[in-house]
Amino acid sequence: MSSDDEAPTADGGTASQSEAVEDRRSEEHPLEWDEPENNDKAPDERDSVSHRTEKYDDRKLVTGQAKYTADYEERYPDLAYAAVVRSDIPHGRVTDIDTSDAEAMDGVDAVLTPESDAVPDGKYTSAGQSYPEPSPWDMHVLNKHVRYIGDPIAAVAAEDRTTATAAVEAIEVSYEEYDYVTDPEAAFDENAPQLFEDVEVENEIVGHDYDRNRMAHIGGELGDVAAALDGETHVHETEWETIRQSHANVEKHTSLAYTNEDDRHVLITSTQVPNHTRRQLAHLFDIPIRDIRVQKPRVGGGFGGKQAMVVEPIPLALSLATDRPVLYEASREEEFYAMRSRHPMKVKAKTAVTDEGDIVAIDIYALSNTGAYGSHGMTVAGNVGSKPLPLYSKVPNARFEADIVHTNTPQTGAMRGYGAPQGTLALEGHLDEVARDLGLDPIEFRRRHHMEVGDLDEIAGMMGGEGANRRIRSCGLDECIERGKDAIGYDDLEQPDEDHLHRGIGMALSAQGTGVAGDELGAAQIMMNEDGSFHLQVGGVDIGTGADTAFLQIAAEVLGCDEDDIIVKSADTDVTPFDYGAYASSTTYISGMAVKKAAEDAKARILHWGSKLLEEPVEELETGDGTVYSEASGDSVTLEDIGYEAAYGGDEREHILGKGTHCTEESPPPFAAQFADVTVDETTGEFEVQKLVVAVDCGVAINPGMAEGQIEGANHMSYEMAVSDGITLDDEGRAEIADFDEYGLPSATETPPIESILVETHEPTGPFGAKSVAEVPTNTVPPALSNAVRDAVGVRIREMPITADKIKTQLDERNS
Amino acid sequence: MDIELTINGERTTVEAGSADDLATVLRQHGYIGVKCGCDGGTCGASKVFVDGEVRMACGMAAVDADGSEIQTVAALGTQNDLHPVQQAFVDNFAVQCGFCIPGMVIQAVALLDSNPDPTEREVREALDDNVCRCTGYQKPVEAVLDAAERMRGAQSVAADGGHSVTVSPNANESTRCCGGDCDE
Repeated sequence: MSSDDEAPTADGGTASQSEAVEDRRSEEHPLEWDEPENNDKAPDERDSVSHRTEKYDDRKLVTGQAKYTADYEERYPDLAYAAVVRSDIPHGRVTDIDTSDAEAMDGVDAVLTPESDAVPDGKYTSAGQSYPEPSPWDMHVLNKHVRYIGDPIAAVAAEDRTTATAAVEAIEVSYEEYDYVTDPEAAFDENAPQLFEDVEVENEIVGHDYDRNRMAHIGGELGDVAAALDGETHVHETEWETIRQSHANVEKHTSLAYTNEDDRHVLITSTQVPNHTRRQLAHLFDIPIRDIRVQKPRVGGGFGGKQAMVVEPIPLALSLATDRPVLYEASREEEFYAMRSRHPMKVKAKTAVTDEGDIVAIDIYALSNTGAYGSHGMTVAGNVGSKPLPLYSKVPNARFEADIVHTNTPQTGAMRGYGAPQGTLALEGHLDEVARDLGLDPIEFRRRHHMEVGDLDEIAGMMGGEGANRRIRSCGLDECIERGKDAIGYDDLEQPDEDHLHRGIGMALSAQGTGVAGDELGAAQIMMNEDGSFHLQVGGVDIGTGADTAFLQIAAEVLGCDEDDIIVKSADTDVTPFDYGAYASSTTYISGMAVKKAAEDAKARILHWGSKLLEEPVEELETGDGTVYSEASGDSVTLEDIGYEAAYGGDEREHILGKGTHCTEESPPPFAAQFADVTVDETTGEFEVQKLVVAVDCGVAINPGMAEGQIEGANHMSYEMAVSDGITLDDEGRAEIADFDEYGLPSATETPPIESILVETHEPTGPFGAKSVAEVPTNTVPPALSNAVRDAVGVRIREMPITADKIKTQLDERNS
Repeated sequence: MDIELTINGERTTVEAGSADDLATVLRQHGYIGVKCGCDGGTCGASKVFVDGEVRMACGMAAVDADGSEIQTVAALGTQNDLHPVQQAFVDNFAVQCGFCIPGMVIQAVALLDSNPDPTEREVREALDDNVCRCTGYQKPVEAVLDAAERMRGAQSVAADGGHSVTVSPNANESTRCCGGDCDE
């Protein structure tokens, strides 16, 4: 599919201009960097960071005491339960909603339709992003114009779940049905059924063309790709396809709303984005932001599916209508058809490579199916190019373009990796094929071009303008490759004894970001108690990753105390400072740096009081082991003594408080090298993955045990993307999946062993040298496994999932 | 109708409708360690012991449990005195969001009761219907193998607060229930 000429392109400029630009860039992006204080400690000098500290909520979790949203049920004896009427046609207009039978049922408290007073009729996006959201406002809480099987139409609150479900079933909806389209290429056609009129969308996105169901078109170019492709080179082109993957968070989307004794509206909710949710609800319901409180309890997995205000407006509207607390817990079936999924995409990769094996141009085009609504559509598609392409920062010409189109299919959204898995499959599969075609070793081929410390990454700025170019200050790619090769046994591969079995190893590289450059904010504050303990209040959001523990370790490292001496309270908008939320691999980097600054602020006051008590200058003092001590004199005073003295002694009494806010223009990439060891049966196409190895450079791992868990979990999710069908749809766009058994998440026996390797580098812009870890290993198994199958039996699977049937078909075609 | 249950050693009478599943009834009585991740028997988060057998409480009618002895994850150990399986999950970083963990712990305890020296394959087979989205099974499998080793060795299991508990080499009913002192 061709794209039109709306893509912004970079100006190549003259040679003299380029030199001037280069100089200015060097100034703006110096390689040298002022190391933040305390960042340069060697691992063995750190007391808390770099240690396998026990995850602070684990004892509650393993004994079943920890509270998730649904566990607050018992606190509210007059709780009502919500259920939702959803469209069972793919496209049309609701002409009538007969709620009379439902309203007459015993135990039904309220039935809301799009016309109800308590239901906002404004447009919004469910995407939990910064303001104004880089997603179109194209949704309503309840809908008259329905665009997919699953669009919410009406909502019920009832005494119990059974009654709520029965009431939903008693509601009759009449429709005027429209033509529908579920295929993204067909949707792009001028004659396809149209999902939106321009007037139905606010906050429109660049390149939108609703006459062609196009939500956005984006792109950027570095150098002159067309000229490079026309040169004396080998030009290769391949096309790749990815699945509609479910987040499959084991805790379903759950939200509880009520109005408290101060007339303020409280949501206890399973979310990654409490502050964005508060703002979005305030705008939607026309309630002042200060009158909404969003509390995040333990969260049972998010993976991006809860980086969205998916369910919260429903219980809030019902609680306003009934004056009761209302709990809405999506059903497992709703999770698959009415919550969110990864954008299925087709991605084309094209390269120009010289006889000598130099890549002179890379050209990527993505067609993304955003489904019925546009949440995260443009930004996810942008990452298809902007995350993997910088791996090859030495390539002089690069282009990326994407079209994001609407279809009458379930909603997509943010998901771990956020476009990078789709782009990484295309790029890493493509380069592997090019290397093999040219008779080059795929690993050495990558090594000639991949990013290194000191590189100015202009591809990062390709779509964001020159200001978005970045200097790479930490990169462990070579070590990731070496250690991964060793662990998988790359250099001494033994073939099976049986002639029909063939063993192969595939590898793929990956890069991600750490936070969104120039668009993140985290804040934290620390209060010292008089017994020398601390309360850490942080806006950062732990959704099960262990972020709270990482925050404790960072604070304890600075304050020189035990983690147990700090109580952490995270993500309650009434209590904790502002934070953008848990997404874009930002939590440890952004919120963690805010915690570090808050702790340093508190430490300065602690040293001041230590100086008074020890009668030594502040410059001589340090914190450690719960004390302030002087190396010069050997004297020390406990934090407890300081706490009492600050609170009760002297004329200059003070409550020792520290605060920290962090935002940055940086987004340093973590890196990964993935290896997959596969044996393929050439008579049947059946394959077995013996092992997955993934080596990750995440800078300094604040807690190596937790970091390994993140890596292995991400790799498992990535493996699923390579071998599972995902959410399959019928011709009308109806999800064919209702439960975990049908979804086909690889189980414990179906998942190969995963070996995670931490490659420690030092990212000077991160807290104690940390960058991100949780997303980068989500990108790599599909290309590594495709490459391994190619290595084993010589056929190439480009359409996910990789199945025995597809391999067999290609083997048969080749052999015929 | 009223049904009689002994839950974590405590005898109680609860009301249950014919359509109520056991998970819902247990949760209504405060046993929040019984989790509901699916809507009937496909994720394993609601696993409990019913008369010593592992059952998914969400897939079992409450009335069918009338007269039964039930143990939830809270019966296995307290925060200060964890069961060796729970301790191994903590020590091996096998817990992320934790939503699936009560069901996993129950299943792992059941496995080690019947097979104190399982192979990795046997552990994976035992956990095959426990859905975990966060860790990808690698660390839970390592945790169960670690727990097996600790229990076989009757190793003293560290617990915070100065307590420790010695586990009998043959893990049996007594390690699964606190004998009525559970405080869930």
